[in-house]
Amino acid sequence: MSDYTPQVTGTGLKASVQRVGGYLAGMVMPNIGAFIAWGLITALFIPTGWIPNEHFGELVGPMIKFLLPLLIGYTGGRMVHGQRGAVVGAVATVGVVVGAEQPMFLAAMVIGPLAAYLLKLFDGLLEDRIKPGFEMLIDNFSAGILGAGMAVLGAWVIGPVFRVVTDAAGDAVSWLVTHNLLPASSVLVEPAKVLFLNNAINHGVLGPLGAAEAADTGSSILFMIESNPGPGLGLLLAFMFFGPRALRPSIPAAATIQFLGGIHEIYFPYVLMKPRLILAAILGGAAGVATFMVTGVGLVATPAPGSIFAWMAVTPKGDWFGVILGIVISAAVSFAASSVLLGFGRGEKRAEQEEAEATTAVPAPRGTVPAESRKART
Amino acid sequence: MTTINGSAIKTLVVACDAGMGSSVMLAGQLRRQLKKNGVTVVHAAVAEIPVEADVIVTHQGLADRVRGVAPDTVIVSIQLFIGDPAVARLVSAIQTGSDVGE
Repeated sequence: MSDYTPQVTGTGLKASVQRVGGYLAGMVMPNIGAFIAWGLITALFIPTGWIPNEHFGELVGPMIKFLLPLLIGYTGGRMVHGQRGAVVGAVATVGVVVGAEQPMFLAAMVIGPLAAYLLKLFDGLLEDRIKPGFEMLIDNFSAGILGAGMAVLGAWVIGPVFRVVTDAAGDAVSWLVTHNLLPASSVLVEPAKVLFLNNAINHGVLGPLGAAEAADTGSSILFMIESNPGPGLGLLLAFMFFGPRALRPSIPAAATIQFLGGIHEIYFPYVLMKPRLILAAILGGAAGVATFMVTGVGLVATPAPGSIFAWMAVTPKGDWFGVILGIVISAAVSFAASSVLLGFGRGEKRAEQEEAEATTAVPAPRGTVPAESRKART
Repeated sequence: MTTINGSAIKTLVVACDAGMGSSVMLAGQLRRQLKKNGVTVVHAAVAEIPVEADVIVTHQGLADRVRGVAPDTVIVSIQLFIGDPAVARLVSAIQTGSDVGE
């Protein structure tokens, strides 16, 4: 076993959670362009938008109530059973969106893959048993009949059930907001993020809830909880000044990719190698959410990737001050806390010795990067 | 124990959770470094890693899942997205034709 061996961390629980979260995020992420299109149209044309326009404003409702859930159901179906799965997934999703007041993302995430899975079972059952020449007939009508059945079931049972669930989730969020508890969500979100559950949380959970809220009120703070680039920036900057010397040269590039490019994954390794820094990320995240809450700001759509440019693009009119203030405060808090946790670089010499010993004991580098890699970076 | 000779690597897959962010970035870097070596560098979501992958590069935090998807392929797990020594070793193994193991 050399250092190429992936280190197994704990049980398979993390991998399982990642996998489930990955499915949820996988239904939403390919469709983010549509979410952003809807967010921009909303920000521009609703009565409180930049250029209110009644005619163009009519786009808002159908996009959020029909197009976006259908895309999610379609994509969810495709993940389970290819193009046929996508088709029945979309048909079944119509069942849950019709007659619903609220956007039915959650229901779409369930009924789309479910319909596709049932079709997959049916296709598996009939495999090799169809008489030559009847394949197309059976393929088309099995998908048609199953899709119709699932759409009826969706309108009749699954839709009403998920309307209750969606309302309950919305109530839970507004309870957190009215009791000023939303910043506490960072305690869960930030650690989960660096375990590569970032997409699952943001696009699997917060995004759909946020879109439902934004359909109601024009913007949502839920888009801002995971995707705020501030805490990661503060953490990376602290690393640049006080982190292990061998890592410092790579930080400016990492910070650029993180803050401007929006790829937050770039800072997770730095937290994973100094796990106490998660405290700084939590404090920074919570400070940001608190600022957004106090100033009463939100975003009109999910800023993906979590880049400062994406954030500015989905900030509604009048919210610039609170949004930028929240990012600055979260970066400052995270920078200060990280600097303290890194001992302002004072412990660096001692730590380097310890790490040098640890490196000889464990082949995988912890915190130090040999000079060869820095050469290779160019 | 899975190993592959660097010169036998034709398709290198960089995998991340969504196949849209960090993997695209790292794949871009590797593509530039391996331009002259006839290696196809692609990026993918963990759940959609193509079967023709000869070697898969992924972050350590996702390695368990990649192992589940591709049990017999060499996985190079990395810690850093910039300047990871494991990536440097992989690149030099491909360029010099030495073995890449796990």
